[in-house]
Amino acid sequence: MGRIVLVVRLVLADVRRHKAQAVMLLVAVIAATATMALGLSLGGASQTLYEQTREATAGPDVVALVPDLGSPVAPVMTLLAEAPGVVAHNGPYRVVYATLTAHRVASLVVVHGVAEKPGVVNRPLVTSGHWVRAGGAVLERGFATALGARVGDHVTISGRSYPVVGIAVTAATSIFPWAPGIGPYGGPSDGGGLVWLTREDTRALASQGLPVTMALDLKLRDPDAAQTFIEAQHIATRVSFRTWQFMADQDTVMLRTTQPILVIGSWLLSFLAITGVAALAAGRAAEQTRRAGLLKAVGATPGLIAAVLLTEYLALALLGDALGLALARLAEPAIASPTASRIGGVGGPTGTVIVATTTLAVAVAVLSALRPTLRAVRTATVSALAGTTRRPRHRPWLTALSALLPTPLLLGVRLIARRPGRAVLHACSTAVTLIAITNLLTYYAEPRWGFAQHRGGWGPGLSGLPDMRADHDSRLLLAVTIALIALATVNTLTLTWTTAMEARANMAIARTLGATPAQISAGLSVAQLLPALPGAVAGVPLGILFYGQIITFPLFWIAAAALAILLATTALTAVPARWAARRPVAQTLSAETG
Amino acid sequence: MNVVNAAVRVHGLVKNHGRGQGRVRAVDEVDLEVPEGQTLAVMGPSGCGKSTLLHLLGGLERPSEGEVWLAGRRIDTLSERALARLRRRSVGFVFQAFHLVEELSAAENVELPALLAGRSRREARRRASLLLERVGLTGRARHLPSQLSGGQRQRIAIARALANEPLVVLADEPTGNLDTTATLDVLRIFEDLRSAGQTLVIVTHDERVAATADRLISMRDGMFVDDTRLAGTGTGWLGGLIGLEG
Repeated sequence: MGRIVLVVRLVLADVRRHKAQAVMLLVAVIAATATMALGLSLGGASQTLYEQTREATAGPDVVALVPDLGSPVAPVMTLLAEAPGVVAHNGPYRVVYATLTAHRVASLVVVHGVAEKPGVVNRPLVTSGHWVRAGGAVLERGFATALGARVGDHVTISGRSYPVVGIAVTAATSIFPWAPGIGPYGGPSDGGGLVWLTREDTRALASQGLPVTMALDLKLRDPDAAQTFIEAQHIATRVSFRTWQFMADQDTVMLRTTQPILVIGSWLLSFLAITGVAALAAGRAAEQTRRAGLLKAVGATPGLIAAVLLTEYLALALLGDALGLALARLAEPAIASPTASRIGGVGGPTGTVIVATTTLAVAVAVLSALRPTLRAVRTATVSALAGTTRRPRHRPWLTALSALLPTPLLLGVRLIARRPGRAVLHACSTAVTLIAITNLLTYYAEPRWGFAQHRGGWGPGLSGLPDMRADHDSRLLLAVTIALIALATVNTLTLTWTTAMEARANMAIARTLGATPAQISAGLSVAQLLPALPGAVAGVPLGILFYGQIITFPLFWIAAAALAILLATTALTAVPARWAARRPVAQTLSAETG
Repeated sequence: MNVVNAAVRVHGLVKNHGRGQGRVRAVDEVDLEVPEGQTLAVMGPSGCGKSTLLHLLGGLERPSEGEVWLAGRRIDTLSERALARLRRRSVGFVFQAFHLVEELSAAENVELPALLAGRSRREARRRASLLLERVGLTGRARHLPSQLSGGQRQRIAIARALANEPLVVLADEPTGNLDTTATLDVLRIFEDLRSAGQTLVIVTHDERVAATADRLISMRDGMFVDDTRLAGTGTGWLGGLIGLEG
């Protein structure tokens, strides 16, 4: 017990002394674990939302859609309604393909002709206003949200104006914009919103010569056997079936590109977290080794020292993991249900997700802190106290090469030669940033054809609905990219500062030998800028590789972004480098001697 | 006062460390003139302000009051950039803790000031080679500081201080970390420098080092309390006593 208390006290004392570093570790781990938790939770979250909506709306197990092509549809529907295994049904009802305009925005829609009093199967849940009545329209919630329509507004459906009397959700169709299921005359669908009108209003609408499909909702004795039921139906007429499992799966289409953004984003964030924390740990290695020497000198065992050094990183990483999971839990509803077509809440991260993020957090802590910890534990007490451990290696060819260069480059190359591993980390950090920016810019540049759009255009004064999936993904991609840039920025500052602190004695010596503060400052910046160059060059092709198939490649913007990254690196390193270069020489040399 | 021939001159020099109640006057109203070619030893107990004086003379610290002149040029008003350039050409430092760059070989350490001064790599190498020969370490050119003894490291540091043929060499306790044999090696180099007309200011605790000087100043509480011209042209009577002459 005493040993644990001692470890905790030593850890707390160290965290108090290095608050900024503790905060940086926390932020890096939070960003990585929250993104990973979100990415891994999305599939399950969509499923959960569909199931809750299905439960609340008595969602059908199978929906049969038969295009009205002139031949009688009623016998087919009767056959299906009376088929073995069917315990209840709703319909048949008309599905009319129309166009809707409101607020100068136009969209393709399907209009379901429904009873004013819903039956036992497919009972849409009214979330605002009330259910359909003659002359009034109810809009599906996801569609209404995209349209910006509310109860009391007026919408025009294929030339006829209707007041919006309600807004509702259903599990009988896929989420907006995939509500139609099949297109006019049984063809492919361009997507569209869902509107409910009374049967009479729908019949009147269809009388304008609009395409019609007949729909039948079926409740089965064994909902899990929906596919088997479909395969057992041998009907001459062309019927399209939608099982509830298919519709649940269709919900995840909206998130099909979201998941890779988050999962790959979490890998990249994790990498940057490891890079940044490793830089921090390396920067503190000398101090930690001295601390280990002091503890050994007063009788601490190597095990106790390892526990003290590792516990700090592990405890902070686990705290970051918990906060990351909490953040993911808060953000999940908005990210997992971008269309508002479903109701209910998401269950939060599952056990598997918690295990994955915790493994990630522990990996960040261990990968970044293990090496300095082992070094501190293995170093002889006297060497640790004298601070004579971990001398940089002599690299004659780099030293000889740098002798040919102007002073700032000479200093920069020699700084890189001191800790080449750190230069590699910085190059990788820059490459990761460029990967994210290349993906973001390419995503924005790709041409897109939004859903629910009329192929011939909407005519003057009208615009189509935005592509919700693209909007959703671009927002997420932007958020992930901003998080990556923020972490990379902190990493650049940390790496510069660590380099400056480690090389402060050498830089002070250089100043006594006549190097100006500006040359020292420029040398420190060069030591960051030189590794950033190959990082930027490698980041673009890697970004293309991550993106996959590219239709439009915004070469100019990506080149500009790479240049901006290098300029930003120069600017970011200038501040700590300038500050470090202006430290009084005599003070630095005295400190090194003492 | 002959300003033109003075390598170093200070007037009314004051240096305070700290602020308010904790303020300490490290150098207190000091006047000094070191003619070109003179070897000056500054002695005194720890904390009397010797090292601070040396830092002020080399432009590593700025005085709180007073003037510092180097080669007829006032340096306490110069910018950091101008000071750095001046150090490059006119000042060579030797420290008690050597302050060699650990990851550079002996030759690379000696080349460094010449490279910083903008000389070509070939010229810097040639000069380093000459200086290593002068301090008797030609055979150790490729060794890292960690592979050298304390005395050898200090001789490398002296060679480095001479790389740009400075007007003045400022040495801060140059034998403070050395054993007797290494101290004598260093003293012989200083004696050679003195003979060659190199201006030297040596801050030391060691009377053997002071004995090699032309002039000895004693400091206490930031002030000069004694200024003695040592007799003879050699290492003085004490130098003879310890066997540096003959």
